[in-house]
Amino acid sequence: MQLSRRELLSAAALPWAPSRPKIAAIITEYRKHSHGQHIVDRFLEGYGWDGEHHHPAMDLVSLYVDQRPNGDLTPDRAARFPGMKVYPTIAEALTAGTSKLAVDGVMLVGEHGRYDRNEKGQTKYPRYEFFKEIVKVFESSNRVVPIFNDKHLSWNWDWAKEMYDTSRRMKFPLMAGSSLPVTWRTPSLEFPTGARVEEAMCVCYGGVDSYDFHGLETIQGMVERRKGGESGVEWVQAYRGDEFWAAYKEKVWPTELVEAALCRSHTLVPAREGFNNIFPTVDDMKRIVKAPVAYRYKHSDGLMSTMILMSGLIRDFNFSARLTGQRDLFSTQMYLPMPDGRTTLANFFSPLVYNAEMMYLTGKETYPLERTLLTTGLTAAGVESLHIGQKRFSTPHLNIRYQATKESTFWRS
Amino acid sequence: MKRIAVVTTIYKYLSHAQHMADRFLVGYPHEGRWHKPDMQIVSLYVDQKPVGDQSQARATEFGFKVYPTIAEALRCGTDKLAVDAVLIIGEHGDYPKNELGQVLYPRHEFFRQCVEVFDQDGRAAPVYNDKHLSYSFEKAKWMLDQGKRLKFPILAGSSLPVTWRLPDIEIPLGSQIDEALMVGVGGSDPMDYHALEAMQCMIERRKGGETGVKSVQLLEGEAAWNAPYSKELLIAALSRSDTPKGLTEKDGRTQNLVASGELRKLVPKPAAYLIERNDGLKTTLLMLNGAVQDYTFAAKVRGKGTMSTQFLLTPVPNVTYSACLVSKIEEMFSTGRAPYPAARTLIVSGMLESCLQSKAKGSQLLATPHLSVRYNAPTKSQHAQR
Repeated sequence: MQLSRRELLSAAALPWAPSRPKIAAIITEYRKHSHGQHIVDRFLEGYGWDGEHHHPAMDLVSLYVDQRPNGDLTPDRAARFPGMKVYPTIAEALTAGTSKLAVDGVMLVGEHGRYDRNEKGQTKYPRYEFFKEIVKVFESSNRVVPIFNDKHLSWNWDWAKEMYDTSRRMKFPLMAGSSLPVTWRTPSLEFPTGARVEEAMCVCYGGVDSYDFHGLETIQGMVERRKGGESGVEWVQAYRGDEFWAAYKEKVWPTELVEAALCRSHTLVPAREGFNNIFPTVDDMKRIVKAPVAYRYKHSDGLMSTMILMSGLIRDFNFSARLTGQRDLFSTQMYLPMPDGRTTLANFFSPLVYNAEMMYLTGKETYPLERTLLTTGLTAAGVESLHIGQKRFSTPHLNIRYQATKESTFWRS
Repeated sequence: MKRIAVVTTIYKYLSHAQHMADRFLVGYPHEGRWHKPDMQIVSLYVDQKPVGDQSQARATEFGFKVYPTIAEALRCGTDKLAVDAVLIIGEHGDYPKNELGQVLYPRHEFFRQCVEVFDQDGRAAPVYNDKHLSYSFEKAKWMLDQGKRLKFPILAGSSLPVTWRLPDIEIPLGSQIDEALMVGVGGSDPMDYHALEAMQCMIERRKGGETGVKSVQLLEGEAAWNAPYSKELLIAALSRSDTPKGLTEKDGRTQNLVASGELRKLVPKPAAYLIERNDGLKTTLLMLNGAVQDYTFAAKVRGKGTMSTQFLLTPVPNVTYSACLVSKIEEMFSTGRAPYPAARTLIVSGMLESCLQSKAKGSQLLATPHLSVRYNAPTKSQHAQR
């Protein structure tokens, strides 16, 4: 997704896009490998993009950091980048100490840091609270600028919906979401636009109210391209533990899609000692995966999607789907070069930051906010279904219809 | 069902023989399916049986036999060649090094013994030879000559040319390439070989195809930094890395290692392998141990600008890049045609040997008229794309 020269020039004429926009970053913490660090560092230090060390054509001028744990990198970054000032409040970061909004774009990173969990196991990251503070400044300044919100909008559906509604009412660009829809794919395949799809799946790893969101984004970034576009979701049913294996046995979801997804993994734990890459039987899976989770959900147009967490078996995000009229299953891996010993840089943040940059420059969302609104709601609905005893949870509020962008926005260049 | 003989140095967990031969036994991931080759390993020769040897356990479980000699493995105990293909994996195991630092893996010796059987029995079979053909160009050339003489297909080389690329690029066939640079890491001679072959699979697509190597020079230390390669290409290659060390390890930051000067601090012993081709193309391999942990490439391609990519080496233990290679081996065993030319591996075997000779002679520039190996790249892309 490269902007043409003409588009960039025309972007310069937009009210929120001066030749070199000023950006404020509002983050929970700035620690090695926190999302705040991955994202803000890319604005400050630049990053590998398109075969160059790319420096965003904008200046990150203000920073608000909510928590300062051990290993806080804020002082180091502030000292090395004196053009970036650290402010004690969100309002001051946005106004640069004046009485009016003084930036042209906001990066909101409410991930990592010590925040309470509720009884459902959701971490109460203060994205909504940060957002409200930002909007207050917009209102008092009578000016709006684009906001990028890392990950889902909020753990609380009503708040997420309010964030969405506010951005539409006040007419400012808002993008959100995970790196999964925009990172490399192995193979580098796009979901065929307008295809009819019967079943879609992501087999990945991680925990509830955490990587489940990434798995849901993996699916949604693909199936939104299907015929008719996204139609919304009617219900979500979650499974865990014994109920998961019972459902697996009863083929509640198509097991051949699980197998296809696992065949895209680069991190399949060998089921037998002495073998480095061997396909597990279901009994092997049961032995290896201690706490499996599935969210199975029905889209309004009939599509069934399943997000499966198989921690212990794999450490990557794999997508598979059955397309109508296609003999072979469609599958790929959303490749995250994960700095958990495999790499040193979480470069999947590069396409995320690049998309945010394009929004700051052009004032246009490069992919639809409705995607993240839906996946935010699906995450909360999955958590809810688990909380009410793995019962089907009706989601009339997720009647979210939207169309995908025509252009692909995943990392290919 | 095709019958395969495996001829290897050792068979233990994570040795090349284990992760490649096992794929014929238990299948492997390929194009989104768990693919089980429609062929059967029927015999095995292992040269050494270190602690952790798996040869007999595999033979028992999968119903083949371990033979004491290569000839017996190829004949399966009969008096005639009794297999349809041979998988030679002469990597890992305890073998001496020569004065150039090359491990003297007995690939040529294994191959020669196969050829003796082919000659005696009046029939030949396709041979895959893992990694470079031999530490010696002369021996490597002899190996390919036997393939021509007895008309059997040979495939050889590394996984790097066939693994995933980030991004998934291919240099258009027939492009004018003005300069190419590869960044690699690891020891010599195992890992520099992989890096040279990765670069070779890209530049062989240039206009006129491969024309052979005119000269080589291996520079070390300060001379390596000052070697005449494009700094822009180095920045481009490193921009594809996911593994910069130093300050990235310390606090997670992104880095332009070249512009900041950190690169020199991180790499105490840089090495530049300067390889000039007969058509004038200058290519460089920089071995930058200490700076990164991955394999990246950049080239100036006329009409395309700078093209760059990372050859993705997927994690241990799956090393799924070797599944990409096994699918090519299987293709040759099944069709009798090598999907890409072994001449690539021949020229890389030779340029590595000559580079190491240059190093041994105090970084002397060496003319390499014997490396006038000409060949054309396959028209179809061969790396993982589906």
